[in-house]
Amino acid sequence: MNGLYKCTSMTLRQTIFMLLIVAMSCVSRGARASEAPLQIIHVTTDAASVERGADTLMANCHSCHSMKYIKYRDMVKFGMDKQKVDAWRGDQSLDTPLLAQMSENDAVQSFGKAPPDLSLMVKARDGGVSYVYSYLLAYHNSPDGMLQNPVYPETKMPDALGISSATDDTQRAEIKGKARDIVTFLAWVADPHEAERKRLGYYVLVYLAVLTVLLYYVKNQVWAKLK
Amino acid sequence: MAENETLADSGRRNFLIKTTAVVGGAGVAATCVPFVASMNPSSDVLANSLTEVDLSDITPGALRTVAWQGKPVFIVRRTPEEIAAATSSNGVIDPEPDSKRAQNPEWLVVVGVCTHMGCVPNKEGPGWVCHCHGSQYDDSGRVTRGPAPKNLEVPPYRFLSANKIVIGQA
Amino acid sequence: MPNRIITWVDKRFPLTSFVKQELTGYPTPRNLSYLWNFGFLAGFVLVLQVVTGIFLAMHYKADVALSFDSIQHIMRDVNYGWLLRYMHATGASAFFFVIFVHMARTLYYGSYRAPRELLWWTGQGLLLLLMATAFMGYLLPWGQMSFWGATVITNLFRATPFFGDQVVIWLRGDFTVGDATLTRFFSLHYLFPFIIIGAVVIHLVALHSVKSSNPSGLDLAAKDNIPFHPYFTIKDLYGLGLFLIVYSIFVFFIPDSLIEPANNIPANPMQTPNHIVPEWYFLPFYAILRSVPNLVGGVVAMGLSVMMFAFMPLLDHSRIPGGANYRPIYRIQFVLFMLDMLLLGYVGYTPPTSTTIIIGQVATLCYFGSFFLIPFLSRVEEKWLVRRGLPPAVMALMESEALAIEQSKLKHRRHGDLL
Repeated sequence: MNGLYKCTSMTLRQTIFMLLIVAMSCVSRGARASEAPLQIIHVTTDAASVERGADTLMANCHSCHSMKYIKYRDMVKFGMDKQKVDAWRGDQSLDTPLLAQMSENDAVQSFGKAPPDLSLMVKARDGGVSYVYSYLLAYHNSPDGMLQNPVYPETKMPDALGISSATDDTQRAEIKGKARDIVTFLAWVADPHEAERKRLGYYVLVYLAVLTVLLYYVKNQVWAKLK
Repeated sequence: MAENETLADSGRRNFLIKTTAVVGGAGVAATCVPFVASMNPSSDVLANSLTEVDLSDITPGALRTVAWQGKPVFIVRRTPEEIAAATSSNGVIDPEPDSKRAQNPEWLVVVGVCTHMGCVPNKEGPGWVCHCHGSQYDDSGRVTRGPAPKNLEVPPYRFLSANKIVIGQA
Repeated sequence: MPNRIITWVDKRFPLTSFVKQELTGYPTPRNLSYLWNFGFLAGFVLVLQVVTGIFLAMHYKADVALSFDSIQHIMRDVNYGWLLRYMHATGASAFFFVIFVHMARTLYYGSYRAPRELLWWTGQGLLLLLMATAFMGYLLPWGQMSFWGATVITNLFRATPFFGDQVVIWLRGDFTVGDATLTRFFSLHYLFPFIIIGAVVIHLVALHSVKSSNPSGLDLAAKDNIPFHPYFTIKDLYGLGLFLIVYSIFVFFIPDSLIEPANNIPANPMQTPNHIVPEWYFLPFYAILRSVPNLVGGVVAMGLSVMMFAFMPLLDHSRIPGGANYRPIYRIQFVLFMLDMLLLGYVGYTPPTSTTIIIGQVATLCYFGSFFLIPFLSRVEEKWLVRRGLPPAVMALMESEALAIEQSKLKHRRHGDLL
């Protein structure tokens, strides 16, 4: 036992400790509204998917949900078709945030609860994009005809994508595709600089690797002077 | 033998240390960039650096003041008489032909800040008068009486269409 | 020309002599391991946090109505604002990671023992300042977790005898955590790092008085010291390179892993999140707080759990020099203590169930037990090891130290000192 302990150097043990922290932080943390299993998906900031998601969102969701941290100009700068954005914004200026079309009072009267802002939704939930994706597709009708969503049972939102009334597999596949595009768009909305961040990250890591290797050789040379 | 080794070693050693210092220094310099850049105007401020103006509801002879980058900008739709008066001379104190100041003679776009000490002049008659120290400008915004030294500044602007300009972009 | 300027300065200010004595020529044991890099890393992260913090403060608004939005403004509109924010958030976690390793090294190698007690205690003070700074900084984003974490922790001050409720209101500046709390936390969060810098200077003065310990635990002969420059300057830089790689992986690729999802929701005083969780570095102490069902008891236990470390020089009665190097029982205690911290961290993280509550209480008892057992175990271990036989160098050092203590006692008795 003693021998084994001595073999693993202190720094190695600390690395393991640090990795444990990383693992802990990656694990889905805290309680969710339900324990329903999520369909795990991964999204990248694919420009075409983001734009399709914007189309769907502006058509189906924007009437109730605001995305107040995104302005129309941000969508133009991302590269979305300017005429489409102009059609969405009407006579509002490009610097207007994407506020919901329905007022909060009307929404509370119709649904009982104000629809939350979606700007940070994929960051504000355990499971992130997988959670929102699974939620959108989890609507189904119970045996006695009540609309239910096991991922978030207390939801007041109607089945916006219509998955509960899908009749065949092509319809379901199409709705799944829409849901995927929606969460891709929402991922961009929550983190518009993600692509830039990762690109810069690769350069930084390569640079640091080179510099650290150089420093390693300098360190060895300096210490070689000692007897 | 040992001496030769040391000489060759020290050459390599110095090169390694120099290279590492240069690479490290480049990294430090690169790290300063985001900090300095973060102090530049953010994207929402830059968005406000352009102001679109719809000209369709300005009648001939009327003046409209709009805000651009926090400053007033005078937009005058000049009548033919005013255009004739403006093009007839180049101004005395800071000579400049009207054609250089107005892209379209019918429209004058100038920053409404007196070039003396920065007060906002008032429209009086065919031009402007600054009530702070008495400077006067003609209907091309050229200074006709001091103490202002220069004509009213013409901001960068361009016509998006016959009835729309965007100020802040040439 | 630069040499002439330096000569001019040297006639009026001890610049060159200070640099030679305390920086470049400073005698350092040649056998220091990479675990000795972490003090330098802590200083580096401190500078990093101060710099990123100052630039963030150019854009942040400390007002209940504006703060959450100002952070989104930083993340979206400010040039490289996202980078500043992620660097600062990751830097806070990095700071605690580095400090925990730094403390673990000190505990393992017995660097808290005489004559380094003040070094350990100034470090203890630094830890408290850091925890306060981090706690106040966490309120600033004004997310759900920020608000409710601050509410829970400021509520704890109710345990103050006689004036509990008034103390809580005084701390907050309001009956609940509100705008007054936010602005004062911003003010103090900006101030404390500069107090930390001052305390670091004191910590380094203490260090330079007693010099570094080393992995063998024995004081090295003067000939075994080497100048800090270039040996440890380059070693520190290399270690910094390794650290920056790990740090950059977090900042650029998994920055949100350290940000609680609930903190992306603006604070809502009317609705508590399902699960209030502090940042990972507070989890073990949070678990200890929750383990005691009584408010005052929990607060006392939590406070004691942080302050316990300060008692180490007084609790450790072993005369075997150094730390775990020659002490297998102490080594086992150390490993078990580390595991106990991890267990407490897990308990602090998960929502309380009847099982985790019991585990937490047992782990808390083990935590304090480790400390309370040290006086007894250290003496028993010493007796056993002396009987078993220690390396001659160690025995010689112990005998000479015992002799020195005897002689100083005699001298003071002879001179009529109260010692």
